[in-house]
Amino acid sequence: MPDVQDAIARATSALDALARAGEAVEDEWQYVTDLHAVWRARLVQVATARGTASVEPGVLEAVERASVELEAIEDPHRAIDWLSTYPQIVLLALGETG
Amino acid sequence: MRFQDASRDARAVVYAGVQADPTVARAAQLLAAATTGQRLLARAAMNGQSDDPAAWRVMFPTLFGPRAEAAESERSEAVLTAALDVAGRGEHARSLYRGAIVEALTERLLAQRVQPAAVHRERRILFDGVRSEIHPYDVTVELPDRAEAYDCKWGARGINAEVLLQLDLARRNAELEGARLVTALVVFDSRRSCRVRLARQTPTPGVRLVALESLDALAGGKPAVPGALAGADPGRPS
Repeated sequence: MPDVQDAIARATSALDALARAGEAVEDEWQYVTDLHAVWRARLVQVATARGTASVEPGVLEAVERASVELEAIEDPHRAIDWLSTYPQIVLLALGETG
Repeated sequence: MRFQDASRDARAVVYAGVQADPTVARAAQLLAAATTGQRLLARAAMNGQSDDPAAWRVMFPTLFGPRAEAAESERSEAVLTAALDVAGRGEHARSLYRGAIVEALTERLLAQRVQPAAVHRERRILFDGVRSEIHPYDVTVELPDRAEAYDCKWGARGINAEVLLQLDLARRNAELEGARLVTALVVFDSRRSCRVRLARQTPTPGVRLVALESLDALAGGKPAVPGALAGADPGRPS
């Protein structure tokens, strides 16, 4: 049975890759770094709090599909926008607030 | 303090065409009644890669899954359709449409709190002895005893020093004239991301922030402090 840690592990991995893509916009390097750190911490916080609790049906699929969606992004400007959007999708699927 | 329609340059004329597109009004209408989750869906799909609605339904199980209420699922479908319509217009156009939608949404929500006739778009604010600003405000509320000025942004990345300074200066100029002007940034992005952006800016405590989660405060009941927006955050990092 998939648990919250499984979902967050997939999400943080995708978020890390997204941040690397966003860093290509040099003028926004600081913002990308800050945004990545803050959202990553929020995801880890959820994993720490809920750990091995099983997730509702559909949650892992949601995280996987959203991860695939953002992994298709090549434009670094769009990647920056998704750096904010993606963690919120994950948190919403998990029933958490942003 | 007085208000004036912004003069129309070539860019404004083009943008006015986008603002007048029924797609914008339709999206704003849907988003005004939407939940925060549905607004997030719109934000994601309007800037996504996939144009397959099924993919988005998988990404948002709380909106489309078996536990979602029928009426809410229906609205989620309508929001998704509208968002994908915008996304399908190409990179440049979708950027213009997203901005116009946030402005139209702001206007619509404000018109639920004050007389619709008091809500205006693309207005300059003039003060005696002060050179007028370059950029008009996206949305204003103009009442006899107080006014509100809003700058609307699609994402937290749109927050910058120039925008904050203009809003803050307007508020301070109004204060010098003894007028009451609430200034705020409306950002169609999460509060957390906005705070990250604001943390590196010079604090402007007089400028309020209305983020994705608190959009309904624009339409909300009586504010606790006259002129202030209930539920809105001050424009500075916490």
